[in-house]
Amino acid sequence: MHNPNHEDLLAKWLENSLSESERQEFESLCINDEDFARRVENANAVAMMAEQFEEVPVPSWDRESTFTAPERPRWWQWQGLPMASMAMSALAMVMVVSGFRVDVADGRLSMGFSDAPDQQQIAAMMDQKITDYQQSNQALFTQYVDALNTQQQKNSAELTQYLLSSSRQERREDFAELVKFINEQRSDDQRFYARQINNLQQEISALEAGYSTVPPLVSPNLTDDE
Amino acid sequence: MFEKRDEQLISQALKGNRRAWLALIKRYESQIYHYGIRMTGNTHDASDLMQDIFVSVYRSLGNYRGEGSFKGWLFRVAHFRCIEFYRRKRPEQGLDDTPEPECEQDCPETGYFRDQTSANLMQAMQRLPLAQKAVVELKFFGQFTFDEIAEQLGLSANTVKSRLYSALSKLKLELEVENA
Repeated sequence: MHNPNHEDLLAKWLENSLSESERQEFESLCINDEDFARRVENANAVAMMAEQFEEVPVPSWDRESTFTAPERPRWWQWQGLPMASMAMSALAMVMVVSGFRVDVADGRLSMGFSDAPDQQQIAAMMDQKITDYQQSNQALFTQYVDALNTQQQKNSAELTQYLLSSSRQERREDFAELVKFINEQRSDDQRFYARQINNLQQEISALEAGYSTVPPLVSPNLTDDE
Repeated sequence: MFEKRDEQLISQALKGNRRAWLALIKRYESQIYHYGIRMTGNTHDASDLMQDIFVSVYRSLGNYRGEGSFKGWLFRVAHFRCIEFYRRKRPEQGLDDTPEPECEQDCPETGYFRDQTSANLMQAMQRLPLAQKAVVELKFFGQFTFDEIAEQLGLSANTVKSRLYSALSKLKLELEVENA
């Protein structure tokens, strides 16, 4: 017979949650209701039998067959890969826009967002510029000295050439004067001697023609005047 | 040595840890196997049902949210697998139908019980409809409360109480016969 109250009482009794009034009602039913009492007795028996239920060993079975290892996704199938690549792209854009720079120099790593060089870089740049300037000055000076030497050599050579040529010309002119003088002297001498010879010839001729009728025209003392 | 909690083993099993899953099986296989014996009435079907239950549990392990005990969730899965088992084996028989006795005398499958009381109780349970047998099993062997049984079976607590009340009436008769 279906009686919710009896079912509820039996359930509470099984869970040991009867109140005092319910316990009195339960005990009353056990005494007066034979059907209910048999169910309670049966429940008690089943509970006891369940506690003493014989355990049988579990047969050997293929436990491994129940396990299927999940497929591990490959690293390129990682779900976060697109997000990570997008984040890296965004980071790269931010670094470019903000002027982020990383410098490695002399075992020193420096990072910053500014394009302006730091003090060490400025000093290095200054040193470099000074060195360049010194080198260029040195080269220019060397070139200037070389040019000056060349010019000096050229001038000396020209001067020497001039001096040589001018002295040679003077000597030539002197010799020419000397030769001219000598030639003139010789010419004068020739004329003198020619005249002397002519006079001598005349005298000889006069002598030959008549001897002392005619005095000689030219005395030998006159030759000194010539 | 401290044993790992069910939740830890489940988490590791979900990550593909075979040892964690086998440890979880070891922890509950005896209870599930005896549940299978009492629900099916023989060890062969109990072995098949046990394997079926653990395969199903592993496949739906990700659905366990940690709400309530794992044992309760495990027996809920076991109950549904048991219903499926019965539907395959006896498709014409309803859950509330009293099963026809398969043999007039004691079923030889109870021979593995050296204890006669256990054998008698099991035989008596085999004559109960599946719906009532499940309530008796979970209440007296699983030690679950009526609310837990109701949640596992997807019923109201009153229905569970009613089924147990009816089952006790039938079991009473069977036990009297067994003890006669």
